[in-house]
Amino acid sequence: MRFMIIRKADAETEGADLPTEELFKQMGDYIEEMVKAGVMLAGDGLKPSREGARVKFHNGQPSVIDGPFAETKELVAGFNIIDVASKEEAIAWVKKWPQLDGHGEVEIEIRPLYEAEDFGDVFTPEERAREEKMRAEMAAGTGNAVPEGQRPSN
Amino acid sequence: MRFMVIVKANAESEAGVLPSSEMIAAMGRYNDELIAAGVMLAGEGLRPSSEGARIKYENGKVTVTDGPFAETKELIAGYWLLDVKSKEEALEWIRRIPFTDGEEVELRKVFEASDFPVDAISEEHLKKEAAWREATQKPIRH
Repeated sequence: MRFMIIRKADAETEGADLPTEELFKQMGDYIEEMVKAGVMLAGDGLKPSREGARVKFHNGQPSVIDGPFAETKELVAGFNIIDVASKEEAIAWVKKWPQLDGHGEVEIEIRPLYEAEDFGDVFTPEERAREEKMRAEMAAGTGNAVPEGQRPSN
Repeated sequence: MRFMVIVKANAESEAGVLPSSEMIAAMGRYNDELIAAGVMLAGEGLRPSSEGARIKYENGKVTVTDGPFAETKELIAGYWLLDVKSKEEALEWIRRIPFTDGEEVELRKVFEASDFPVDAISEEHLKKEAAWREATQKPIRH
């Protein structure tokens, strides 16, 4: 099952500081370990919310508010997508998070992703076919997932 | 430049209410447009926070708290990862999401390797990162 690992924002990620060389190294080693274990599907860091925006929809009409957004602890600073056997395995990976990140003070949220089979009958055969085609294109190496056959083995 | 479009949670997404077949079809058409334009890198939906957990690190101690989490409007329900030329282009795509009422999305710029000082990342790490992205993150195309 796939999980999203959400690294919550803090004053530093919302500020102007970039990670140190040592943190880059720790994070690189951590990600490499997940890639080698064949569990890592995607991952990225988000720039501070001052470079972003929010869009609210009312009666189908969008309205745009530019960042920054004050509620730092509600914001996301980065994410990984991992494919593991259970929630426990996902938590075990998160417990190995680099200790230098956030100077040891970090909050992470893990959330399972929806899979096609979760949707039942409302997910019509036509939409399933469309989704499967998209996933197949991703698996062919043109998308965001590491193709099963190309995942490094231990 | 890459942007993450974060769909915020609401009472329905947190209750695990599944979208109607009409909504799924509308989203499918929208995703097809993103794919046809070559701007879609990824897109996923998150199951309710009741099936997730939070892990906190404080003073070297790790604490795990199982969901659900009460602050619905702080939570995420899904996301797209887009590769576009500007924030304006990202906003143009967001305006066309087939949302009807009350939904909120947040647009955030994604860090690229070139955003970091040259000496902060080793050559070896940059190469590994580039190879991994080459294998995993290209626009989805028909």
